[in-house]
Amino acid sequence: MKKLFVLSVTVMAIAFVGCNPQITKQEFAPKMYSEHPLSIVVLPPINNSTAADAKEYYTTTIAEPLTNCGYYVFPLEVVNDILKQEGLFDTETMMNVPVQKFREFFGADAVLFVTIEKWNTSYLITSGSVTVTIRCELKSTVTGEVLWFYDDTVTVDTSGDSGGAGGWAGLIAKAVTTAIKTAATQYVPLARKANEKILLAIPYGKYHGSYNADGQMKIEKKTNPDKK
Amino acid sequence: MKNIIGSFFFLFLLSGCAPQPLFYWGDYSETLYDYKKSPDEKTLDAHMKSLQDIFDQSAKLNKRVPPGACAEYGYLLIKEGKDQDGLMYLDKEQALYPESAVFIQRIKDEMQRGKK
Repeated sequence: MKKLFVLSVTVMAIAFVGCNPQITKQEFAPKMYSEHPLSIVVLPPINNSTAADAKEYYTTTIAEPLTNCGYYVFPLEVVNDILKQEGLFDTETMMNVPVQKFREFFGADAVLFVTIEKWNTSYLITSGSVTVTIRCELKSTVTGEVLWFYDDTVTVDTSGDSGGAGGWAGLIAKAVTTAIKTAATQYVPLARKANEKILLAIPYGKYHGSYNADGQMKIEKKTNPDKK
Repeated sequence: MKNIIGSFFFLFLLSGCAPQPLFYWGDYSETLYDYKKSPDEKTLDAHMKSLQDIFDQSAKLNKRVPPGACAEYGYLLIKEGKDQDGLMYLDKEQALYPESAVFIQRIKDEMQRGKK
């Protein structure tokens, strides 16, 4: 029995470690553990993808997972209106505003900058998929420094079900199903999936049960291309 | 046997951002998306209903109302001209989450400014 346990733990450890370099949350984002930001304002994302709607899909789904990680998140619709009152209409302009200003506007401890790098829909005859790549950067409104960053990619398979009919008729039917399914993929669940995956790597906030106790949790190491 | 239970527990620990979510959000993302995509009375009404559902279900599940929900609801009520009810929800947000104080004050200031 003991052997079984050791074996299962080993298998799990291998499965979790994979081939990518691992790092603890504490080592990866030490400033999160010294500064303890609580309230986060999420700015409208920068959209580098070819999907024009990606921005909307994304913003409606970020509050849920971020609050569930223990943070206070300002409601995005209200935030957008306030930003407009400040004369800030697009994210590119917001990028040039000193981060400290957002403490003044909202009383926020940190600002989350999001970039949608990819939102690709692709389908071949019998297989389709949507790939989403998102990059996040959390900056302190006290020091202006980067507290945490992460990026990740989620791919959802939208292939049509393999129907019973064979031959050409079956193949055509399958191609049609795949195309329809890929086009009609539910975008909100997809954006949600991408968010949830990225936020696995954020240290927990004050409202989470494991607040301050997750420093040794291992995550996949990433390098921030913005950091000079 | 204990070890098997132990390894399940281990797996449970590893399974990420709280298996049981901290907050109840219901259909929030979906209705907000619909409202953003085509803002009209119908989609706004649906979104306000989903906020209402968050309040009801959170109470039922004995969970704290998620951050921002009361503020957003209050803000939407004020936009509809229901100032009294709106203010009540703004105060509720601040009572639940004191870190929202600056933000709530800002909404109230805007509301006053809008009246002048």
